[in-house]
Amino acid sequence: MRLKRMARKQITLSRRMLFTWCMLAGCIFLFSPQKLTSKFQFAFTHLFRWPLALGRTISLSTRSYQSPSETLDSRKYMQLKNYVATVELELAWERRKNEELSGFRKRNPLENARFAQAYIVKAAAGELVIDCGLDDGLAVGQFVLGTNSIVGCVSELSARTARVKLITSTTLQIPVQVAGQDAVIQGDPRGRVKIPLLAKKYKVKVGDPVFAVPRPGFLNAPILVGRVLDCKTDGEDPLLWDITVEPACRIDRLSSVDVIIMDPQR
Amino acid sequence: MRWLRFAVFILVVTVLQAAVVDAIAVTARGIKPDLLLILLVFFSIYCDTGEAIITSFSIGFAADIIGASMGPQIISFGLVGTLVAYLHRIVAIRKMPYQALAVFAVSLLAAIISNLLTMLKGEPTINSYDVVFYTAVYSGIVGPFLFLPSAWLMHINMSRFTRR
Repeated sequence: MRLKRMARKQITLSRRMLFTWCMLAGCIFLFSPQKLTSKFQFAFTHLFRWPLALGRTISLSTRSYQSPSETLDSRKYMQLKNYVATVELELAWERRKNEELSGFRKRNPLENARFAQAYIVKAAAGELVIDCGLDDGLAVGQFVLGTNSIVGCVSELSARTARVKLITSTTLQIPVQVAGQDAVIQGDPRGRVKIPLLAKKYKVKVGDPVFAVPRPGFLNAPILVGRVLDCKTDGEDPLLWDITVEPACRIDRLSSVDVIIMDPQR
Repeated sequence: MRWLRFAVFILVVTVLQAAVVDAIAVTARGIKPDLLLILLVFFSIYCDTGEAIITSFSIGFAADIIGASMGPQIISFGLVGTLVAYLHRIVAIRKMPYQALAVFAVSLLAAIISNLLTMLKGEPTINSYDVVFYTAVYSGIVGPFLFLPSAWLMHINMSRFTRR
C-alpha cells in the first residue's frame, strides 16, 4: 500500500516535471528573437514546399472563379479590352513624341528594375510565404506585385524563402497617395485595408485610385494599390475620414507574385 | 502511444492545415476549421495524462510552425491540452455533442491565451474576435467526425473507458 502510494507520487511528480519542462521550452520559443525562431518556420516551409504548393493549387482550384468575360456582358468586356489597348497605344505614342521634343530619351520608370517571379507556398492571414529568397536577390522592404498592383512588402528572408507582409496586415504601413494627398495604408484586424488619419478637408471619393508613392531604392514610380471602396466620416473624430480601400487584385486568388528588385546590378 | 506514427500524422495534418484547409473555408473572411486543435482535444481525451501533455505541446509547436510567430501556441495548446486531460479524469467526454462542445471551448480558450501571449511578445494579434468565434464553431462542428478516423489511424481504442 505504501509502495503503491509512493509510486503514484513519483508518477505525479514526473508529470509535473514534464509539464514544467515543456512550459520552459515554450517560454524559450516565446521570448527568443523572431529572427531566430523564424528559422524553424522557414525550414518547414522549405522542406515541405512541394506538398504546400500542391495543396494551395488544389485549394485555389476548388474555389469557384468567374473570369471577367463571364461576369461582364461580353460586349462590354470587349469594349473595355479595346479601350485599354487604345490607351496603351496612345501612351506609347505620346512617350515617343515627348522623347523627340525633349531631345533625350526619357527612361521608363521601372526599366532598370528586375522582377523576380515567385510562387506562393503558404498563405496566412496578412502574410504570404514565397519560394524566392536571399539567393534570388531579394531584400527586406522590397515591394511585391500581384497582377501589376502592389500587394505587400518583403518582411523576412531566408536563403530560398521569404515572408511577405500583405497590405491587409495590421503591421505593415505603406505611404500612398489618394486624391493628390499623401497618406498611409494599413490593414485592420478584420482584414480590410484602411487609410487612417486623413483630414476631411481633402476631397476623397469612392473609386479614387490609391497609389504607392516612390521610395528610393525600392520603387521609383507610383504603382496602383487599390481603389477607395468606402469613404465616410470617422466615428471617433469627425474631422477625419474613415476610408476603406479595395485592393486592386484578389490576393486570396493569387498563385504567384513578382518582387520588384530595383537596380539589380548593385 | 506509437510516437513515430504520431509524428508522421501531425506532420501530414500540419501540411493539410497550412495548404489544403483553405478549400473548405467559408465566408469572405475565410473561416476554416483548426485541424490541429481538433487533434489536441482528441489526444487529450484518448491518451494517458503524461502522453496528453507531450502531444499538446507538440501540436502547439506544429501550430506555431505554420503560424505568424513561435511561442504563443506552444504554451496555449500545452496549457489547454493538459487542462482537458486532467478534466477528462473527472468528466468523461465521450458523446459527440460533448466532444463538439469541448472542441469549441478549447478553441476559444486557446485563442484567448494565444492572443494574450502574442500581445505580451509585443506583436499585434492577427485574428479579430468574430473570426476566433466562428473558427471555434466550425471546428466544433467538424471535430467529432474526425475523431474516429484519427483513432483508426493512431490505433487507439475509443470504446475503452478512459476515465483515469
